[in-house]
Amino acid sequence: MSETVIELKGLTKRYGYGDTESFALKDFDLTVKRGEFIMIMGPSGCGKTTLLNIIGLLDRPTYGEYELNGEDVAGISARRQAHLRAKKIGFVFQNFNLIEDISILENVALPLVYIKQPSTIRLKNASNALDRFHLQEKEYYFPGQLSGGQQQRVAIARAIVADPEIILADEPTGNLDSRSSHLVMEELKAIHEEGNTIIMVTHNPTLTVYATRVINMLDGHIDTDIKTVEDHNLPQPVSVKFNKKHKKKRRKH
Amino acid sequence: MALLFRTHLRLARTSIRENRTRSFLTCLGIAIGIASIILILSLTGSISRLISNEVYDIGTDLIVVRPSTTKDEVTTIIEELTTANSFQTSNLSLGDVTTIKGLSAVTAAAPIATTSNTITVDDNTIPSATILGTTPDFIKIEPLAISTGAFLSNKNPDTSIVLGHSISIDLFNTPNSVGKTIEFYGKRFIVVGVLEHIEETINFDNIDFDHTIFMNMSALSEAIPSAQIQQINVKVDSTDTLSAIAESIEAALTINNSGDTNFTVSYGGQIAHPASSLLNIVTGMLTLVAGISLVVGGIGVMNIMLVSVAERTHEIGIRKAVGASSYNILMQFILESLILSISGGFLGILLGYTFAFLISIITPFTPYISWEAIAITFLTTVAIGLIFGVYPALKAAYKRPIDSLRHFR
Repeated sequence: MSETVIELKGLTKRYGYGDTESFALKDFDLTVKRGEFIMIMGPSGCGKTTLLNIIGLLDRPTYGEYELNGEDVAGISARRQAHLRAKKIGFVFQNFNLIEDISILENVALPLVYIKQPSTIRLKNASNALDRFHLQEKEYYFPGQLSGGQQQRVAIARAIVADPEIILADEPTGNLDSRSSHLVMEELKAIHEEGNTIIMVTHNPTLTVYATRVINMLDGHIDTDIKTVEDHNLPQPVSVKFNKKHKKKRRKH
Repeated sequence: MALLFRTHLRLARTSIRENRTRSFLTCLGIAIGIASIILILSLTGSISRLISNEVYDIGTDLIVVRPSTTKDEVTTIIEELTTANSFQTSNLSLGDVTTIKGLSAVTAAAPIATTSNTITVDDNTIPSATILGTTPDFIKIEPLAISTGAFLSNKNPDTSIVLGHSISIDLFNTPNSVGKTIEFYGKRFIVVGVLEHIEETINFDNIDFDHTIFMNMSALSEAIPSAQIQQINVKVDSTDTLSAIAESIEAALTINNSGDTNFTVSYGGQIAHPASSLLNIVTGMLTLVAGISLVVGGIGVMNIMLVSVAERTHEIGIRKAVGASSYNILMQFILESLILSISGGFLGILLGYTFAFLISIITPFTPYISWEAIAITFLTTVAIGLIFGVYPALKAAYKRPIDSLRHFR
């Protein structure tokens, strides 16, 4: 049985008050297991992005519970939120969101800056992550010098470089042509198969073949929720088992 | 922490380098403010050092009696500045000079009474020449060298005068004016001596001897009955301690003035004091004005930082999304403004001293480099960087990440 990574209970996000009151999310419940590849679909304005922002600790729910790895994170300080974002969450955006003024190597290394890795180790890790996406020889290029598909792969490298618990992707293929889309999805699939948890928002129904679970949202709640892979068949990271043994050993001492 | 600091430092450097022109102009704003402060401090510092050096050169055997003032009070000095004569009413008299001379340790005592008048000789007119009334003892106290003739003496008639080197040339077109006559105050005076040329025009007497006409005190009192003695310079046997002699002078003068003590007896470093307290006020005022330009420079830094924050809103959003806390962003921008203002400060210190050296070529100043001035200006730039950097940095730090991410370039 796979471990629970995210647990949302009664999550509500309200905008405005009184007459202008509207709910982006209403009593939203969701449990995410390790190794799931969830695709969230639904019409514009159904609360997909708000959900992703709250899971990614970029936004706070109006009320409701949010547990990340068993830790209640709904009401924690902004500083702690930032720390968790750096350590446990990787973002992939539709418009890549790379910093134009620094090289792609430094872009990939960016999350490591904020978990205080020394410069040389940081750049080595970033370089390894880029190598995975066959972009190592472009390390010193600037984002503007790469194609859209390449930029998105850099963004994915940045998302996984700190070894996060979950990867959140907001329409990662939205700005890409079909060939690049396919490449990016293959990369995400490969990452998922290594046991990473991915939550992805998309408009494109053809991409659901990659998912282990497809959620359709409507007006701030779940309309349909289909699992295509059983929980016990979800890919698990090798390091999880290793970590558990390691922790037990430590406790004995 | 140190690690993150280095990263921020590098980031700030990159950002400054990317906007080279903009950063340079911002630095220049700070640099001009700092340069003017350095220039002022270096020049006024050189003047006060000149005065104290002169006192030191004359030696440890000098005592000066001046009419009493509450010297340290800024208002008094400003009042003095606004009146035509920069000396205040004095109770000192020739009798006091005689009394001082009568004291055992005193070897010479000379009064100083200055006034000014238009002097005309043939075609040459000097609109307000300094006329100094004194006694023959003056030459024993002041280190003045005679080029031709002799100084005032009791053997010469009362109407003899001595000219400064430059004023002799101005009046007679020659430094050899001994035997010539000048008419002023309705009397005819004979030049008996001319001084050697004096380079240093700044001294504790506040008189430029090179442009001065020296005459006998008695003749001056006769011509202008209201002429007052503004200072008595006293030379003493250096065998005794100055303070003891100063006390005995004070006691003797108090008796002379029937108990009035509206005079001060100063020696050593105190002698330079009236001049330097005036100088301090001038320095303070000039520094204040330069400080205003520094504030303007600081506002320039703030302006540029606000532009930088606005330009990089998207970047701030990305950084926050990948894990930067508000504190990280705050530090990044504060460091950037600190670098701007501190490099402006360094540029300013260099510029200021360069100007001071350039000015010293054409004036008698020697630029005075003091570590205090450099330290103070450095700290000022740090303060400016912090004060004017905090607001933009706070603005950057408290941007909401989702709003910033939505912000497109």
